[in-house]
Amino acid sequence: MSDVNFRKIDIDIYDEDVLVETELYDADPRDPAQVLNDTKQKATAVRSALSKGDTVGALTLVLEDPPYGPGVDEAKNLNLQTLVSILNSTKSAEVSSVLKSLSPDAQDTLMKYLYKGMAMPGWGDVSGSVLLGWHEKLTEIAGTGCIVRVMTDRRTV
Amino acid sequence: MAAPEVYSLAQGPITAHAFNQDRSQVAVSLNSKDVQIFSKAVNDWKATETLSEHDKLITSIDWAPNSNRIVTASQDRNAYVWSQISDSQTGRLEWKPTLVLLNINRAATFVRWSPFENKFAVASGARAIAICSFDEESNWWVSKLLKKPIRSTVLSIDWHPNNVLLAAGSADMKARVFSAYIKDVDKKPAPTFWGEKLPFGTVCGEFASSAGGWVHTVSFSPSGDVLAFAGHDSTISIVYSGSGPAVRTVRMSTLPLVTLVWASEDSIIAAGHDCQPYVFSGSEGGWKLIGSLDDTSAPKSALTPSRFSPGGPGRLNSAAFNTFKNADSRGISNAGAGGGSSQGESELFTVHQNTITSVRPYEGQSETTTKVSTTGVDGKLIIWNVGSVATLTAKLGSTHLR
Amino acid sequence: MSNVLRPYLAAVRSTLTAALTLENFSSQVVERHNKPEVECGTSKEVLLNPLTISRNENERVLIEPSVNSIRVSIKIKQADEIERILCHKFTRFMMQRAESFLVLRRKPVKGYDISFLITNFHSETMLKHKIVDFIIQFMEEVDKEISEMKLSLNARARVVAESYLTAFAS
Repeated sequence: MSDVNFRKIDIDIYDEDVLVETELYDADPRDPAQVLNDTKQKATAVRSALSKGDTVGALTLVLEDPPYGPGVDEAKNLNLQTLVSILNSTKSAEVSSVLKSLSPDAQDTLMKYLYKGMAMPGWGDVSGSVLLGWHEKLTEIAGTGCIVRVMTDRRTV
Repeated sequence: MAAPEVYSLAQGPITAHAFNQDRSQVAVSLNSKDVQIFSKAVNDWKATETLSEHDKLITSIDWAPNSNRIVTASQDRNAYVWSQISDSQTGRLEWKPTLVLLNINRAATFVRWSPFENKFAVASGARAIAICSFDEESNWWVSKLLKKPIRSTVLSIDWHPNNVLLAAGSADMKARVFSAYIKDVDKKPAPTFWGEKLPFGTVCGEFASSAGGWVHTVSFSPSGDVLAFAGHDSTISIVYSGSGPAVRTVRMSTLPLVTLVWASEDSIIAAGHDCQPYVFSGSEGGWKLIGSLDDTSAPKSALTPSRFSPGGPGRLNSAAFNTFKNADSRGISNAGAGGGSSQGESELFTVHQNTITSVRPYEGQSETTTKVSTTGVDGKLIIWNVGSVATLTAKLGSTHLR
Repeated sequence: MSNVLRPYLAAVRSTLTAALTLENFSSQVVERHNKPEVECGTSKEVLLNPLTISRNENERVLIEPSVNSIRVSIKIKQADEIERILCHKFTRFMMQRAESFLVLRRKPVKGYDISFLITNFHSETMLKHKIVDFIIQFMEEVDKEISEMKLSLNARARVVAESYLTAFAS
């Protein structure tokens, strides 16, 4: 009677069969420092592609092997920043044709970044209306299946 | 192109359905704890019998064609085998349940008879699959559990034609192939592509869904050499067992599939949250979506009095919203009719108006299925001709934005 | 509809459509129970990544999907103190009557003004696209409702002030 705290103990955490976060996906084989390095190199490559006006090439580059998983927040933010700079500099009339020339993998990854960007409005030069514009066009091209995969894929960017 | 046969069995969801051998009767669970048996009348189905023994929602039903026994699984952690026995007093044939010792402590989610009908497998939320065989001595079904390495609720299972191998798809995002060999029941199986020596519990293969969705459905091809599974990440994967497993994945632009069946060795019919059965076709080289059995562009004046038009967001004067509005501003409350499912003033293009939860072969041999049956959350039972595939029109782009 | 509102609602609509892919799922932690997994959060593998759709800092929608339920939380635009008070009163009025709204949650998720909890039982008894329409229409109406209330409040304040001040005008 005196001690009822035992009722509040979460006994389910002692269940050995339960799946934990880290078992839900395969971890990135690269170590964090290398991931950050790769991302920095990509950012430079993207800038040179953008200066040549090659939006598709720049997008393909930034969406390839994106950093995911824990411990690489710096690389994740850098990659988002690189991506947002591409998105902001693309004319809205070109968006559809750019999206159509992306691979399905790149489309899925782009959708992940769009949601990530929308989850942090006002961060850096993230603009809600630009992201929403891209989101609408991407949904037209890649369908709701693309959104479903953002929800199911645990390799969050 | 022959139109599908549409029967409306209920207003609410049908969670599972199974036909008897000559397709004159169908056992369904109408989202309740009872099994309803419908018999074919001239142009309709009439409810003839109710099997009640479970005390929670029935999740799955299977009807063994040759031995004429029904097995049911329920969220009350039990399964029963029903067989027709003539009553000692009246002499009438009645369905009687036989006890199954499942030894699981969570919901039973899926059940299937093995091809020889001497075993059945029950999937469960206890991270286990119970393989059940009959014990003559005590007149009940006993089970053996497949546990490792399942980490979450098993959502679906399918038997290999050799009566020994079992495929399972589960919520831990994996599809697996197990051996469910039981010494006293099975003869030693011939070696297959999946493995040669197969003691009980051997894991012959483990395949992850590509973007980490729960594996909703698994199925062996008619020959048993190929395995197909579909996950919640809107993909369908086809695994070739020979020459080191090769996985072909089709990424879809629509909502996830939850159920699939092989129509022949090179085609699959799959359905799910998109309310229409899709047809996939391919070979070891690669697979693709070729069309839908539901011709959404054809006029369906008899079925859909008014078409739903995918206008701009929020432009629909929905009945549900008006109900709330009335309750809010005028104090009229009729929350019971708030669903608006019966008013039906706006409908989808598809014949099924809600998620299809189950697709099963209806007519033809296993290698050449000519008709399939589907049931769904909208309470409809539909029988489709496999031959009449409508190619997906460019409209697809707009329909999935409804 | 303004130009920015349309893609915002379109994004919410397509995300809701993708998230409303629910099924009946019995709890794997507590036997013979069936509860919304998004609320108990005891099995990690049946929860999906939550998604946010935002128009700006003050207007956003959070969609948390799981195997048998989704939680939709809306942050309503509040430009000034009056709108904040009105919004608070309005959502409180609705949430106290949550049971007659079926899908409304009694408490909003932290950081948001109003939350909906849609389970597989709702998507079974109601048509899915109608539920999506309902949420979208709610989002449209609530902005309109609050600005209308603000207008009538201001008008009333003006009348009161006028009649009060006429006493000193003579």
